[in-house]
Amino acid sequence: MEIKTLITMILIFGVCLGGFLYSLYRSSKED
Amino acid sequence: MNKKESFSRWGIIFAGLGMAVGTGNLWRFPRIVSQYGGGAFMIAWIIFLFVWALPLLTIELAIGKKTRMGVIGSFGKMMGQNFAWMGTFVTFVTAAITFYYTVVTGWCVKYFFATCFQGLIKKEPNQYWEAFQSSWEPVAFHFIAIFIGCSIIYFGVVKGIERANKILIPALLILLLIAVARSVTLPGAVQGLNFLFSPNLSQLGDLKIWLNALSQAAWSTGAGWGLMLTYGVYSRKKENPVLTSTTLGFGDYVASLLAAIVVIPTVFSFFAGQNMAQAKVLEVMQQGNEGLTFKWLPILFSKIPSGSFFLALFFLALCFAAFSSLIAQLELISRIFIDSGLTRKKAVTIVGVGCFLMGLPSAISIGFFNNQDWVWGLGLMVSGAFLIFLVLKVGPRKFREEIISSSDQKIKLGRWFDYLVMFFLPLQMVAMLVWWLWDSYSADPGNWLKIFATTSVGTVLFQWAVAITVFIVFNKVITKKMFREKNGN
Repeated sequence: MEIKTLITMILIFGVCLGGFLYSLYRSSKED
Repeated sequence: MNKKESFSRWGIIFAGLGMAVGTGNLWRFPRIVSQYGGGAFMIAWIIFLFVWALPLLTIELAIGKKTRMGVIGSFGKMMGQNFAWMGTFVTFVTAAITFYYTVVTGWCVKYFFATCFQGLIKKEPNQYWEAFQSSWEPVAFHFIAIFIGCSIIYFGVVKGIERANKILIPALLILLLIAVARSVTLPGAVQGLNFLFSPNLSQLGDLKIWLNALSQAAWSTGAGWGLMLTYGVYSRKKENPVLTSTTLGFGDYVASLLAAIVVIPTVFSFFAGQNMAQAKVLEVMQQGNEGLTFKWLPILFSKIPSGSFFLALFFLALCFAAFSSLIAQLELISRIFIDSGLTRKKAVTIVGVGCFLMGLPSAISIGFFNNQDWVWGLGLMVSGAFLIFLVLKVGPRKFREEIISSSDQKIKLGRWFDYLVMFFLPLQMVAMLVWWLWDSYSADPGNWLKIFATTSVGTVLFQWAVAITVFIVFNKVITKKMFREKNGN
């Protein structure tokens, strides 16, 4: 796998999965 | 039926994820992302999550939570009864999509059973598809899809929608993860990942990428459909619209990425084995509505070990995704009848029969199906515009301070939201609309305004104009009962 691919993949997944997990975490804190 | 039933904290997240994660993720995203440049498209698509999908989802949820009425009632309540026709248009766009969405859901059910019990993987996919389309089966499976969807919402919000989504969404995630594990370990799959995640930034100058990224963001997340508004009706009093919408938006994008990682490396792996050029691979990926999923995937899976099992798994995931979104769409339409004073049972029955009849032309004719997909898919832009207009009429600051945020919420929006709604969202809308008109004109100046073409500007404008005229003329009639009932309470 190209290094450019790996970095982009981490960035895109980082934003989406990170955002999802963080908002789930905040949701659990809301209650 | 309990009129006060509402989602639990996690119930609305599962239901919202179910609403957002649908065939738009599994069936549309891999096709669109490969059609418009892979990695470059992803960048535009992620930008629209922040500047389009998340603000609109938040606005919708806040409106539903405030008014406790469906889409038409919400527009009437917040803007005055004279503007309720805008809500009727938003409802009709989603209903028109539902009429053919049930047909697609039926195809998914058929292909899941065909893979399990009819040895689909050993058949010639094109012939199988043509035989299926020319038989009575699309109508039968269209009926089955509506029957299952209506049966779920018939049981209400908690026992029907929430319970179904609490099963469908985790199951879908597990199925996708299994399929991802298979696809990325196929020989040659890395080429697919390279294509998907290596952006060619020069492609970002192409406006087509931006228009399609916006339409994909709207299609996939359900922003601007009125679906989240409808679920907002059943939200708890202390529901935080910003947090819930953010969870749904990001969750939907994760599902899209997983689906793309299932499909695209599998396609590349197949063609790598046949020494075919990337251009050929992209040609396959870009095939229309039914091409990639229902004609090519059976061929691709037939070449991998345990292909039949994984193809069944993929179609089962597609069924789960389709049903979780379909029930949100059916609920949106049913809620309009419930607001007009009907019981849930009567409303669901009317919606079921209506959707079956209105979906018949799409179940019978693929040309009609494609026309409706084109007209009402683009109609979501107008729906989004009407929602933005609602916020502008109320006043962005007032909307943010009094409707979205409440004093006990920890996460609040800043003033940037006002500017986003006042300038950026309308600007995006106008820019996209003007570009779409210009591009269509330059591509085919002779036919772009033809009314009776499958995909022309003329057919879109004509159908939108007819719908809007009817809704304006009959606005009082459509909304009379809804507001009389409300005033009577």
